[in-house]
Amino acid sequence: MAAQLLIGQGFKEVYNFKGGIMSWQGLTAFGPVELNLDLIRGDEAPAEMIEIAFGLEGALQKFYLTVINLVSDSQTVALLKNLVAVEEKHQQMLLHEYAQIKNLDADAPQVLVNQLPEILEGGFRFSEFFSQNQEVMQTVSGVLDLALMLEIQALDLYLRFAFKTMEASTQKVLFDLADQEKAHLSSLGKLAGTKN
Amino acid sequence: MFWKRLFTSVPSLEAQEVKDYMAQHREGTYDLIDVRQPGEYEKAHLPGARLIPLPELANVLDQLDREKPIIVY
Repeated sequence: MAAQLLIGQGFKEVYNFKGGIMSWQGLTAFGPVELNLDLIRGDEAPAEMIEIAFGLEGALQKFYLTVINLVSDSQTVALLKNLVAVEEKHQQMLLHEYAQIKNLDADAPQVLVNQLPEILEGGFRFSEFFSQNQEVMQTVSGVLDLALMLEIQALDLYLRFAFKTMEASTQKVLFDLADQEKAHLSSLGKLAGTKN
Repeated sequence: MFWKRLFTSVPSLEAQEVKDYMAQHREGTYDLIDVRQPGEYEKAHLPGARLIPLPELANVLDQLDREKPIIVY
């Protein structure tokens, strides 16, 4: 019905998702539309949005690093190290973009590194999330499940940020971030598929 | 004639096709619209789906890009 309405109103390319969410086999995001949207105002310029995302990625990286110290299983440690490395890579890309926008030397934006918020990428509060999930993080499958959930929530949050954002150039930053999350999710999903 | 449009068949995608579409297209190049009720969206939605409950859809058409592909559920 919705698809027909859109076509009738002149939308060029409309697809009806047959079966809807009930037929969806993959992971889904949860939470209301406004969840964590208060982290942004909506009028941020690209550089400021990069600062926010950098903080979220950094907090997640710190979370994985903290868990590594509490895990004994070597395979789980290896996976966590890999997750840390991915966040580091995302941060490097953000730094690079930030330096370009701000016209800085690539090494200069150290200021970003020291701004770790209490909120992890995906929108969870560090201390709370840590105490709730410490036990789950002891095994490879536990870490994978949690990482997948975090990445899905992060993807969803960056896209909800994009809807709230008024600046097209800032939206572009967020769409790029979302694409990176999607790529990461796809590789994590494949890994989870081989473990199950 | 408008009545003809009521019977226009709508292209549809199965779950796997939606998944492939999302994997193959960059964010920002298409819209994913969830026309269910807020409570349903809150429990589970496709990441990046925009919630526009069906009764509200007709009122917000001008906020959507008519040129962009849309997947709706």
